[in-house]
Amino acid sequence: MRIFYLEDNPLIAMHVEQLVEDGGHVFAGTASSFEELRERFDTLVMDCALVDIDLADGHTGPQAVVWLKERGVPSIFVTGQSQVAEEYRDVAVGVVPKPISESLLSEKLRLLASVVNNSD
Amino acid sequence: MSPADENSPSALDHVLILAPYRKDADYLARLLGDHQVNVEIGLAGNNLAELLAASPGVLIGTHEALTPAAIEAVADHLNRQPSWAEMPVVVLLDRASRPDQVRAELSRVWPRARLLFYQRPVTAVELVSGVQSALLVRLRQREVRDHIAREIELRRELNHRVKNILASVTSIFEMTRRGATSVEVLARDFRGRLGALDKVHSAVFHAEDDAVSIAEIAALTFEPYMVGDDERIVAQGPPVTLHREAGTTMALCLHELTTNAIKYGAMSRPEGRVRFTWEVSKTQAPELGIRWKEYGGPTVEEPMRIGYGTRYVRSALTSMFGRPPQISFERDGLRCEARGLFSPLSATSDSHGS
Repeated sequence: MRIFYLEDNPLIAMHVEQLVEDGGHVFAGTASSFEELRERFDTLVMDCALVDIDLADGHTGPQAVVWLKERGVPSIFVTGQSQVAEEYRDVAVGVVPKPISESLLSEKLRLLASVVNNSD
Repeated sequence: MSPADENSPSALDHVLILAPYRKDADYLARLLGDHQVNVEIGLAGNNLAELLAASPGVLIGTHEALTPAAIEAVADHLNRQPSWAEMPVVVLLDRASRPDQVRAELSRVWPRARLLFYQRPVTAVELVSGVQSALLVRLRQREVRDHIAREIELRRELNHRVKNILASVTSIFEMTRRGATSVEVLARDFRGRLGALDKVHSAVFHAEDDAVSIAEIAALTFEPYMVGDDERIVAQGPPVTLHREAGTTMALCLHELTTNAIKYGAMSRPEGRVRFTWEVSKTQAPELGIRWKEYGGPTVEEPMRIGYGTRYVRSALTSMFGRPPQISFERDGLRCEARGLFSPLSATSDSHGS
């Protein structure tokens, strides 16, 4: 599964990159803002995405999740703001709170994989 | 503060006059109007609840205006006030009335009002100064409201930042743990990385405007390794200020490059040198370029596996500049160069989220 990560903190992005690769998936890159994601989207290949709520262009994670869903890309939130993520439970497949628990992330990646496989 | 100030209380609030007799209402309106106080007149038959909903700063009522219906409408309004508010109410009593009795009664039905009583006839000077003082009380109440709002905002922001730092520290720890060959190595590397985070945090905090200069980041990073007028590390560039996130990322990158140079690179030999330079292009959309260059150290070989440091520097500079840095393991020393638009990193830009 090719996983993209929308996150503006490079430390966390690098950590998640390793966790994604540990899980046998392909890390499909990062963008630090919703704006950057939109600009680069046509050049990116992804099956699903991990999305933070606060990005370099503000509180744009929720919009990004909706936008990605419209393009057939399911997402989960990876965020310190679980309550905000709860408001978008219909659009996002799940939530991984920060600080990231490695076991919870891999559990949610399995959930994402089932969504991706069902839509094929 | 004098009433003539542009922040004068009367500029923000209006006074609602409740006087069933037109003559009384007009007199009060003219008197207060002459002293730059905005007024609204509520006559018998007007919808009092609506007039109160417009949130007057001060209410003036003549004795005869205080009908049971009016008292109830005002009580209702007072009960709906937000926690910071206690509306000042000026009551103009009849000459024949018993002030103590009226005061006791109104204090009972309007527990959250600041009551001010005058017995007619009242001089213009007394009344105007009373109303101005009441408006000032109201202004102070609004300031309390603004402080409360600001405090809620600050608490939210603080929570947000603490969460972010804890998430960063967790990631630093997990990543450091992966690369560590022993508990001692883990402790040393983790301590070093936390130290770098701590130093840049202090620098940004002391600046008070959430900004930090590259020169300051470089000085903080290199300071523990400099002895006297050590020329082994040279940091050079024009004054450039970065916002908090960019400054933090830059500090962590410099920390990784420095510790790498000490362990394996130029700084592992007395004759080795490091030059860290930066510049901002004078183009229409200015670009920030940074360059790290080691020389005079041991012969460099491309490492077999990519460690935390290189991995972090690569992903952090990519995220910061929007394009990957050039990292080359040249024989005479490691080089790392990155370049990208300056405006998203600049302390004066407001495009970055916080």
